[in-house]
Amino acid sequence: MTVVPPTETQRDDAGRPVPPGSWLGWVSTTDHKRIGLLTAGTSLVLMLFMGVLALLMRGQLAQPEETFLGAQVYDQLFTIHGSGMIYLVMTPFALGLGVYLVPLQIGAPGIALPRLTLLGYWLYTLGSLTVLAGFLTPTGAHADGWFSYPPMADSEHSPGAGTDLWIAGVLLAVTGSILQGWAVLWTILRRRTLGMTMLRLPVFCWAMIATCLMVIGAFPALLAALTLLAVGRADASVFASNVWNIGYQHIFWFYGHPVVYVMFFPYLAAVAEVLAVFSGRRFFGYRGTALSLLVFAALSMSVWGHHMFATGQAANDYYSLTSIALLVPAGVEYFGMLGTILGGRLRLRTPMLFALAFVPQFLIGGLTGIMVGTPVIDYHVTDSYFVVAHLHYVLFAGSAFGLFAAVYFWFPKVTGTLLDEGMGRLHFWLLVIGTNLTFLPMFALGYLGMPRRVVTYAAFDGFGLLNLLAGAGAAFLAAGMTVFVVNVLHTLRRRHLGRARPAGDDPWEAHTLEWATTSPPPRLNFPAGRPLPPVTSFAPLLDLRRREQREGSAV
Amino acid sequence: MRQRHVFGTVFTLEALVAGCVFVVVLAVLARALVRRRAGDAERSERPRLEACYVGALAAFAVFLVAWTAWQNHVEHPAAGPKPLRVDVTGFQWCWTFRYPQSPDHRRVSGTCKGEDMPTLVVPTGRTVQLRLTSRDVIHSLWIPGLRYKTDAFPHHVNTLTLTLDRAGRWRGRCAEFCGQRHWTMDFWIKAVPAREYDLWAQGGTAAA
Ligand code: HEM
Ligand SMILES: [Cu+2]
Repeated sequence: MTVVPPTETQRDDAGRPVPPGSWLGWVSTTDHKRIGLLTAGTSLVLMLFMGVLALLMRGQLAQPEETFLGAQVYDQLFTIHGSGMIYLVMTPFALGLGVYLVPLQIGAPGIALPRLTLLGYWLYTLGSLTVLAGFLTPTGAHADGWFSYPPMADSEHSPGAGTDLWIAGVLLAVTGSILQGWAVLWTILRRRTLGMTMLRLPVFCWAMIATCLMVIGAFPALLAALTLLAVGRADASVFASNVWNIGYQHIFWFYGHPVVYVMFFPYLAAVAEVLAVFSGRRFFGYRGTALSLLVFAALSMSVWGHHMFATGQAANDYYSLTSIALLVPAGVEYFGMLGTILGGRLRLRTPMLFALAFVPQFLIGGLTGIMVGTPVIDYHVTDSYFVVAHLHYVLFAGSAFGLFAAVYFWFPKVTGTLLDEGMGRLHFWLLVIGTNLTFLPMFALGYLGMPRRVVTYAAFDGFGLLNLLAGAGAAFLAAGMTVFVVNVLHTLRRRHLGRARPAGDDPWEAHTLEWATTSPPPRLNFPAGRPLPPVTSFAPLLDLRRREQREGSAV
Repeated sequence: MRQRHVFGTVFTLEALVAGCVFVVVLAVLARALVRRRAGDAERSERPRLEACYVGALAAFAVFLVAWTAWQNHVEHPAAGPKPLRVDVTGFQWCWTFRYPQSPDHRRVSGTCKGEDMPTLVVPTGRTVQLRLTSRDVIHSLWIPGLRYKTDAFPHHVNTLTLTLDRAGRWRGRCAEFCGQRHWTMDFWIKAVPAREYDLWAQGGTAAA
């Protein structure tokens, strides 16, 4: 979705060395909207690539004793797929969404620290290319999974240059995300417009606050873990002691659990906005939700050991306590979402469909999360396909559905045109079928004893049928994503040719300030001659509409 | 089979609760979809209700934490007086089982290629203590039939205590990714009556 808007004639580029419409104008921009688009667009392209890797894996696993790929290739695929989806797709997209939307939602003309934000984007892109460059080395890309424990990841057991590239690339990309996190947080704290108090921030901004706090607080731990790995690759004696092996896991998961919520809150909040708008009412339980996001963020930094129940070297009771405690803030968020739609007049447009599906699908991920947070259950299912199913319900059936809700919802704001509704629905239904067909059988597979990260399995294991179902589901996902890509490209093309129908400033009757400006918004976000509507609550446009109605009926 | 038993209890309870919650949420969703009209739409907060709800959630969380922690302790009792000790070593890519208490320190290993899978022979009814370690990278010893696994770290020993109360043969696997042949790192665990085990430990062959 690298959007190239039509000529931007209204801009005055007198005296600027680089015309803003050119590609150089894009890559050197300090406009948060462009940086946000670049970040989100890049991560969408990478998502498609990582998805293709997933399809290859599902093809390989569709039947027992398959030799289509071989272990050497398969191990690279799950590693790059998993680390790519986490470090290079879901996290950067979430931050890119924040970079684009937050200044608009708080009525600011720009982002705080625009150059740092741009640097963040560049580090992210450079990091992504570095990781992918691993495929071009003679020994191939890195092949030790997204958490890459030593000593498996040391220079003796993973000698290839692909591993070095992976470490360097992830380090760069995550540094970029940290910079963008700082910028977004600083913007919310410092650049709010008149009347925009903290308790009038849209839900999405609250989610970004919690997200950025976790990015700032926990992501540096990943930099530390990767540095440790790099040191250990240079000096093999480091990982000859258990302290550093288990130490790596602690440092890694101190990052590794908060990142899960970084890939969750912004999408949850996008869903919350969509649910409220398409229910025609204010988001329900606003304060409870804002508070629960902060509690969640704080707790998220104390649960890391639940990834280590089976190591025999973690305080399982403690980590189980903090993990299960998470059900309280999570329950509050569900309360808000359900309360919103219950009393609402629902309009089932494409963004709403994705948002509605998010609710039960993410719930499956959340409920099974409590299970894997219980040591007695986790001893059996950890590192099995049960966990693969759990994490995909959270990240794909949940967050990715939120991501698509966000794309359909804000696309008209960003481009000035709506995506095609028919294709959107087709995309939605193919994805719902595909998601559940792919990932539901995996719970059973894990329970029955299929370990994760295996290139194939024996015929007598009896895993064939369930894996075949998962493969069929993947075909639906591929079809759905093709429809999505066609829809986006087709719409952008029509827009380019000037044949698209303009969406108007506020096609959905939405609630927040980004809908009080033109689509797309001008360089400084809000047209000069048009005063911002008064910020009377976290849904100022809704208030405005209600007021106008009342005055209208009074006359 | 204590592990299997404890797992069964906790898993069943949590799955039931999860199922109920899921059904309730689906019902609420369905209701919203069917009604689709604004009720008391201006109420956008119900603090009292929310507080009660949080209280209920917290109470349930406390129960769940306490009860599952207790089950976890039931699952890991202090090993009785003289457990049978087996030293297990994972390596790329198979397992070695050593029996330091047997007369001539019996040792079983294999290549985990094709049919050549090592068998961990243990007596029924006796407490067995596996002492797990690794020669190279991290592995994880998983016996799906027992619903239990523990990691095998290099330069570190983890113990896994189990008692098999009936004879039989189960599949064991490596659950921690450990390189290209991770997927072949399978073994068998076989429980035989105590007398048969003693014969085997003295150098005989256990009836296959
Ligand atoms: C937003 C989307 C997705 C995210 C964030 C995601 C994330 C992940 C992660 C973190 C892993 C673990 C990698 C590792 O073990 O190191 C993984 C593995 C995997 N994913 Fe995805 N994934 C996504 C979409 C998909 C889709 C759509 C499919 C199926 C078509 C899929 C199929 C797989 C498979 C087959 C594995 C390998 C499992 C194994 O061998 O253990 N993923 N994914
Ligand atoms: Cu192994």
